[in-house]
Amino acid sequence: MAAAGRVRRPSLGGGSERRSELFAAYALIAIPIALFLVLNIGSILYALYISFWEWTTRPREIIGIANYQEILSDRVFQRSVTNTIYYAALVVPLQMALGLFLAVVVNQKIRGQTFFRAAFYFPAIASSAAITVLFIFIMSPGGLFNEVRSLLGLNPLFELLGFGPTHNWVGNSSTALNSIILLNAWTTSGTMMLFYLSFLQTISREVYEAAAIDGAGPWQAFWKITFPLLKPGHYFVATVSVIGALQLFDQAIIAGGSGGEPANSLTTMVLYLYREAIREFHFGYAAAVGIILFVIIFGATLIQRRLFGQAPSW
Amino acid sequence: MRRSLWAMAVAAVLVVSACSSGSTASPGAPSGSAAATGSPAATGSPATTGGTGFDPNAIEGDLVLSGWSAGAVEAPILEQLLEDFQAAYPKITVKFEPVAGEYPAAMAAKFSAGEPPDLFYVDSSLAPTWIDDDLLEPLDDYIAKSSFDASQFYEGYLNAFKGPDGKIYGLPKDGNTLAMAYNETMLTDAAVEPPTTHEELVAAADKLKAAGVESPLCLSSTMDRALAFVYQNGGSLFNEDKTAAAIDSAESIAGIEWYLNLFKNGQGQRPSDLGVDWCGQALGEEKSAIIFEGGWVDPYMKDTFPEVKYAWAEMPEGAGGKATLAFTVSYSIGADSKNKDASWVLLSYLTGKDGMTTWTEGGVANPSRKDVEGAAGKEILIQGAEYARPWSFIPGFSEINDAFNNAFTAALEGDGGAQEVADATKEAIDSNLQ
Repeated sequence: MAAAGRVRRPSLGGGSERRSELFAAYALIAIPIALFLVLNIGSILYALYISFWEWTTRPREIIGIANYQEILSDRVFQRSVTNTIYYAALVVPLQMALGLFLAVVVNQKIRGQTFFRAAFYFPAIASSAAITVLFIFIMSPGGLFNEVRSLLGLNPLFELLGFGPTHNWVGNSSTALNSIILLNAWTTSGTMMLFYLSFLQTISREVYEAAAIDGAGPWQAFWKITFPLLKPGHYFVATVSVIGALQLFDQAIIAGGSGGEPANSLTTMVLYLYREAIREFHFGYAAAVGIILFVIIFGATLIQRRLFGQAPSW
Repeated sequence: MRRSLWAMAVAAVLVVSACSSGSTASPGAPSGSAAATGSPAATGSPATTGGTGFDPNAIEGDLVLSGWSAGAVEAPILEQLLEDFQAAYPKITVKFEPVAGEYPAAMAAKFSAGEPPDLFYVDSSLAPTWIDDDLLEPLDDYIAKSSFDASQFYEGYLNAFKGPDGKIYGLPKDGNTLAMAYNETMLTDAAVEPPTTHEELVAAADKLKAAGVESPLCLSSTMDRALAFVYQNGGSLFNEDKTAAAIDSAESIAGIEWYLNLFKNGQGQRPSDLGVDWCGQALGEEKSAIIFEGGWVDPYMKDTFPEVKYAWAEMPEGAGGKATLAFTVSYSIGADSKNKDASWVLLSYLTGKDGMTTWTEGGVANPSRKDVEGAAGKEILIQGAEYARPWSFIPGFSEINDAFNNAFTAALEGDGGAQEVADATKEAIDSNLQ
């Protein structure tokens, strides 16, 4: 049907044909758009609405911006914001660097290319709950990590950094969040690699050939050609990565429980929201936390747009 | 060692997947579970006809009973109980619909929709929030008109479900208290008697340590254990009528300090520092000789470490006398439940003398009623209910709990001390009391 339409388009007389085609197009779009409006935009607006209420399992009373005032003055919330931003600030560059590195590696014409692509992507498809639990075991005081570093004779080095031979990496507030950062940089690197890979393949071979003729080595080619030409890729990966990072939840609740242990070092904004909503039934309050999170994510995305120039041209 | 690590890791994955569909009970899964064998089926109706015309035998209807999913041990007994009930009250049909996933979250959705189950579990620590939100039906009228004997419940359990208005919003289906479990062999080897006071506990730990036990005690750094020691020291979390914090009193702070010192002086360590999930595992792996837990230790030890010989003793006494914590779960009727009369008939059956006997005689759950004996070997845990204090406080309790736990962990890492723990807890209490 589409093909038939395209053939007839040049004829100027097909007005009613064209209209019915347009109608069909809009009708088809209407369903996902309606779902999007109701389920996404609708629920955001509804959350905004109930954030001005004292709302438990039912509406109690309108309290204006009291929820917001209470949230902003809550020390645990402030801690959750610092934790979340600290996490995002470290994990995003790590994820991007690792993702780019892996993408460049598997973009080479090497033997077993498919195997490496699959292997690097593997952590992204494994259950994050299972990975986190394994990770906690590996990082526990008598765990694999502490044993291996002792076998390798690395303990003096760790001692220098202030970590004893049986340091409890996830159970100690000074290292808990950093441990989760390393874990997540690894688990998400596969996805980031995939994104970068698709952008890498849009760069024409001719550019590299021309550079090679001009005498550019691989290092120069990477920094002068690949990296700048990947700008839309950086923008996309950074945006996706920041949004994901600001929503850190599952690893935090598995490692630290809903209390954000140890010593609130794993209390993230979403964990805070979750515990207000699910454990205390403060749905109005939790909705307000959600709106604040939305504003932060939206703001972060705008800033990145500024940083990486205009929206990419794809 | 490496191989055992892998085994541990695999076990952990299995445990986690099992837990995700399992209980959402309060700390250390203190909710009941039971292993009963055949029971004397319903011979008499526990909810006898009262003088005011409430005749349970005349009530009919379909009921939905909900809770977190019963474990493999618990499920057949619950089934047996419901069959007994069905035989005694043929006009009422009961369907048990366990909630998969996170229990409070699933219940919040049902409450918001105005369609809670007829009868459901309420964890003691969540009860004040649910009562405050008018989600539960007060039971006083039912108790009065059906002449149900509620005086037999231990106060430490029953009071967990009393609202600020003094009304009863649920009846405890069973209960558990904290007690001291100790490894008999390790204590005998070190020539240590089971300690009965705080001083003896410290002395026993030091002696065990001298005998080569690196962490004589396994201690949770959480309020659901620490508070028992604060109570023993004469301190408290709240004042009598829960209108003000008492965690900043001299006795409370001294109690926190004393508990902190057990860690600092090397008498005990946290489970995570011992490389175990919880203190029961530390007892099983003989990493610690003394732990403070409840009846949930028994089925775990029987299944996982049947060869380890351990025994129960009462919690040690402090300057403030005997004290322990009571963990329990109620059966409650929703304020929006459809068939409240029939729900009450079932509730009074399950928490009545006969029903609770069936539920607890196998021994994994302990009775919450004084007129039900419970299983052999459970005496210490059952008797603790005489003086146990409920793990149920005010709405917003989880924030208070988090505040204590996080400040306590910080103190263990050298950031602050007992005073800071008390201050952080008091701040959370004050913000929830407004």
